Amino acid sequence: MTPSLARGLPLVVLALVAFGLPLAVTSATYLHILILLFLYAYLTTSWNLVGGFAGVLPLGHAAFVGIGAYTSTILSLQYGVSPWIGMFVGGLLSSLVGVIIGLPTFKMRGAYFALATIAFAEGIRVMFENIDYLGPLQINGPRGLQIPPLKTGLVHFMFADKEPYYYIILVMLAAVLALTWAISRSKLGYYLVAGGEEPEAAQSLGINVAHAKLAAMAMSSFLTALAGTFWAQFTLYIHPKSVMSLDISFEIAFIALIGGRGSIAGPVLGALLLRPVSDFSRIYFGDTLPGLHLIIFGVVLILVMLYQPRGLQEPLTRLYRRAMGRLIGDRGAPG
Amino acid sequence: MQSNRQLICIMITAALVIAGAHAALAQTTIKVGNILPLSGPSASVGLQNKQAQDMAIQEINDAGGIKALGGAKIQMLYADSESKPEKGVAEAERFINTEKVNILTGAWNSAVSYPVSAVAERYGIPFLVPVSVADKITEQGFKYVFRIAAKDSWWTRDQFAFLKDMEKEFNTKIATVAFVYENGDWGKGFAEGWKKLAQQGGYKVVLDEPYPSTATDLSPVVQKIKRANPDVLFLTSNAADAILLTNTMAEYKVKPKAIIASGGGHADPSFMKATGKNARYLFDIVEWETDVNKPGADKTNEKFKKLYGYNLAGESVDAYVAMYVLADALERAKSTDPKAIRDALAATKLTTGPAMIVGYDAIEFDASGQNKHAALVMIQINDIGKGMERITVWPKVSRRANYKPVFPTP
Repeated sequence: MTPSLARGLPLVVLALVAFGLPLAVTSATYLHILILLFLYAYLTTSWNLVGGFAGVLPLGHAAFVGIGAYTSTILSLQYGVSPWIGMFVGGLLSSLVGVIIGLPTFKMRGAYFALATIAFAEGIRVMFENIDYLGPLQINGPRGLQIPPLKTGLVHFMFADKEPYYYIILVMLAAVLALTWAISRSKLGYYLVAGGEEPEAAQSLGINVAHAKLAAMAMSSFLTALAGTFWAQFTLYIHPKSVMSLDISFEIAFIALIGGRGSIAGPVLGALLLRPVSDFSRIYFGDTLPGLHLIIFGVVLILVMLYQPRGLQEPLTRLYRRAMGRLIGDRGAPG
Repeated sequence: MQSNRQLICIMITAALVIAGAHAALAQTTIKVGNILPLSGPSASVGLQNKQAQDMAIQEINDAGGIKALGGAKIQMLYADSESKPEKGVAEAERFINTEKVNILTGAWNSAVSYPVSAVAERYGIPFLVPVSVADKITEQGFKYVFRIAAKDSWWTRDQFAFLKDMEKEFNTKIATVAFVYENGDWGKGFAEGWKKLAQQGGYKVVLDEPYPSTATDLSPVVQKIKRANPDVLFLTSNAADAILLTNTMAEYKVKPKAIIASGGGHADPSFMKATGKNARYLFDIVEWETDVNKPGADKTNEKFKKLYGYNLAGESVDAYVAMYVLADALERAKSTDPKAIRDALAATKLTTGPAMIVGYDAIEFDASGQNKHAALVMIQINDIGKGMERITVWPKVSRRANYKPVFPTP
């Protein structure tokens, strides 16, 4: 067995476990928690294209979730278009909005960029909250849109059970991870990292940093919108406060920070840690001491930020490499 | 041989019957899953709901539980929705799948109750809604959702009916109205109803102003009201903004002929404390008031006040009453099977017992699951010698003895 194959093996095992999990987890509640975990891992991985590689901190990705959710829902409710098609229409629309937001804001540095993206996302949310009809499209303001659970089946992107949702989001997550891996090894990936770390140096080497960032933003907002459609079809009810709230943007950023920005495994690790903390603390403490679960969530966040400011990905990778080295005697591996 | 086999058959049957009876006796709790906003923006109302239900469950269990089920006790499980629909849905599914609850109740926020009703319907678990008032909750053709409170459209209907009656009683003509409301689900729903009713009633709408409930300064809104100068001002506000609006209006000396509020923030115990004299003569629509002329109402309120330090509000009463509706249904269902409970709920006709502290005389659900008798009362905030208090004025049969409403406002 060659060392590179051996290093790839755990990934294969992980994938097999993920695909087989619904056989062991039969409780709809735990599947629900797992689905949300993967959903957030997916969202954060999409976010990571801009927030991780390009080295900026966008805090407005909830707007893209909302655009995706609303586009496919309106198309399917009012025009009978399958959410699968609406999903990609929403993606393109969101991509366009992403570029429009990116054009003026990528010139800003640090906190100004983060604040500008918050402002854009909140602006879009307030608009949706105050518009009942956009031309012929019924948005329904703050009351949101309910998707009647009548037509189930793959075509309608609606299922009575949780398993299909589980597999859809798992495939989406695997795809976006593969895409991220490919990008991180492509010219665009190097441009982004270079532009994120030393924009002046990169520019003097002839890299069009702004162009690379816009490309990343377009992709990131496209992918995020796809998750919006998934969200809508999964919960069957969307309103601006649920699919466009700042809470989503912040949670994505928290997961990325805890897991490790700019790495491929970071978002998944972050989601693996934070989502169960949030769900289980709510389940076990939500009724005894109201609000305690939010405090626990905050404390975990602070502890990781204090002791692992670059995220959990770094120490875990080190551990993993050491373990693999022991196992296959491949001490010559880089890193 | 033959008789031997018969004997064995009889013995087995007897054993099964005993085992069955034993199983029925061993089932001593009925699990109720309750989803409420216990943290986040609606935490305080969520808590009031919880307290009223805790009190009711305690009373029911202390009185011997559900007698038809061998004195079975009701066990209430709470979950926090944080006012978020997706969390409410997750908790509903956890209650059903993991906790195996027999019935669901909650969820205060209409935005949460709405999607939860779909979950309940899918799993065939009855969902007893005390107070989420959005019309649509009982208008989805669902079989498993039941609501105690009057729905949105009834509130606005009664506000206008009240206004018409006042015009007649005091011989005052009202020509113009203004609508000021929080820009959420609730406020917008009310405004929609108002607009329709104003048109039907022949009133001219001089201002239609939604505002964000989280605003820290509402003087621009108040200035708009002053400029529009309506005869009657309709309000839908949460607690903080209700206080802010009332005090700012006093500051700017905005005095329409009448202000008609829509419960919610105006019915919150903190409102009267924080506005004092500024709230005088304000009319408010509520499900219930402490001076309601029903036996047992004052005792229940006193008990609640002793336990938690403040009066029962209309919503808490609905929450309290819902538990007695549930107990009544369980007695008749004689089973913990959700389907049987659902059928018993649908056949509810409750006219006696502690639930009858409500302002009307019976609780019965129509085919959509809406309590068809749910009625509302109008109160006026006034000082008649004992400090500011909420005095029931409408419908006239419920009006507090010897009180004459002040209309129009001097």
